[in-house]
Amino acid sequence: MFDLLYKELRLAAHPQLFIFMCLGILVIVPAYPYGMVFLFGCLGPFITFTYGRETNDIYYTALLPVTKRDIVKSKCALVVVAQIAQLLLSLPFAVLRLGLLSEGNPAGIEANVAYYGFGLMIFTIFNAIFLTHFFKSGYKVGAAFVLAIIPATLGVLAMEIIIHFPRFAWLDSVEPTMMVRQLPILFFGLAAYVLGMVVTCQISARRFDQVDL
Amino acid sequence: MNVLSVDRLTKRYANFALENVSFSLSKGRIMGLIGKNGAGKTTTLKSILNLVTPDAGRVEMFGRDFMTNEKSCKQNIGVVFGGIDFYDHKRISDITAVTKRFYPNWDEEAYQKYLKAFDLISSKRVKELSSGMKVKYMLALALSHQARLLILDEPTSGLDPVSRDDLLSLFRQLVNGGERSILYSTHITSDLEKCADDITYIKDGKLLKTAQTSAFIEAFQHLKAPNEKAQLSLEEIMIRTERSTYDV
Repeated sequence: MFDLLYKELRLAAHPQLFIFMCLGILVIVPAYPYGMVFLFGCLGPFITFTYGRETNDIYYTALLPVTKRDIVKSKCALVVVAQIAQLLLSLPFAVLRLGLLSEGNPAGIEANVAYYGFGLMIFTIFNAIFLTHFFKSGYKVGAAFVLAIIPATLGVLAMEIIIHFPRFAWLDSVEPTMMVRQLPILFFGLAAYVLGMVVTCQISARRFDQVDL
Repeated sequence: MNVLSVDRLTKRYANFALENVSFSLSKGRIMGLIGKNGAGKTTTLKSILNLVTPDAGRVEMFGRDFMTNEKSCKQNIGVVFGGIDFYDHKRISDITAVTKRFYPNWDEEAYQKYLKAFDLISSKRVKELSSGMKVKYMLALALSHQARLLILDEPTSGLDPVSRDDLLSLFRQLVNGGERSILYSTHITSDLEKCADDITYIKDGKLLKTAQTSAFIEAFQHLKAPNEKAQLSLEEIMIRTERSTYDV
């Protein structure tokens, strides 16, 4: 599996994937809708999968001593690595922001604990639709992306809108007590992401097994 | 000993079906898989490799069932699909660095030897290679992990006569030791007359004949016109077998 992930990173991944991964640092921008960061986390895999189709990546991988299921697992692993790396990379900048910019983000949600929980949920929704749809054919990446990015964008909008309701204002807070209150959202997001990826990977593998390359 | 046995391989699509194709390839031999465009050559090869899921049939490779021993069987084969380019913008060295990790019996010394023999420069990008060089690079990869069976899909299509002849002599050299076997599909029948030990002919998804080259040619001599003296070539056999008339 490690060899396949190495192959994904060295041959299959489009450079744009790494650029979008780095866009986690946008949480340091004083006024920016941070929900965009998650959409960049969805765009990276889309561009890489499109690039993979142009370079016959799946075809080449299928000729290696691996099974079709291994191919799906490695693609899922690549998406997880890219998205989690993006979030982890953004963390120090979110902390730095707290120290440098105490004004808060006027353009949208703060990069707080709830924000990361919502992000994981948005990634879960995107991955579940994008990967399972893509592996129905192994090449229809555009359709899979359109189907997946719509609910992911709605998720981002919901996150950005909900914080404007007074009842949910605590979700937009970076006060330590409020962030402790937000912890269940992060845990739920994490659990959804892990469970979602396991199920997504299994469904995708089952579907890809039936695909004729 | 058979390195490959294909038994009643069947794959059905909406508008095409590969039906009950059976043949076997022995150690140290070259088998040519012939048929016109769309006859089912590539489908046969892809079904053998589980790239497409066969509807029925069995593939045995090195004495083991391929479907249940896919990974270990693939350790011992090299596959070249002519006309399909992989990672056009990557350097040969990058592709090799990744590929060799999948083969525990990778022989770096042999790889360097093949690079030199085939005039391949590892800093070149795939897009900078000619079609013939691409095939040679894929062969270098296959030979460096000591593949015992090479499966080649139209490796000589699109190549000039000199490059084709060059590859065909290379194929002969590769099987000379008696350890390697080659199964390769082509519609360029003159190539097979130069290098194939056995021929398998697929017509409209069905196996027409599989035999040693001389026996194969002999079996189709009934297609000769009464006044013809010379033996029919493979090309003539194929043309006369496939000839169709149009009601226009």
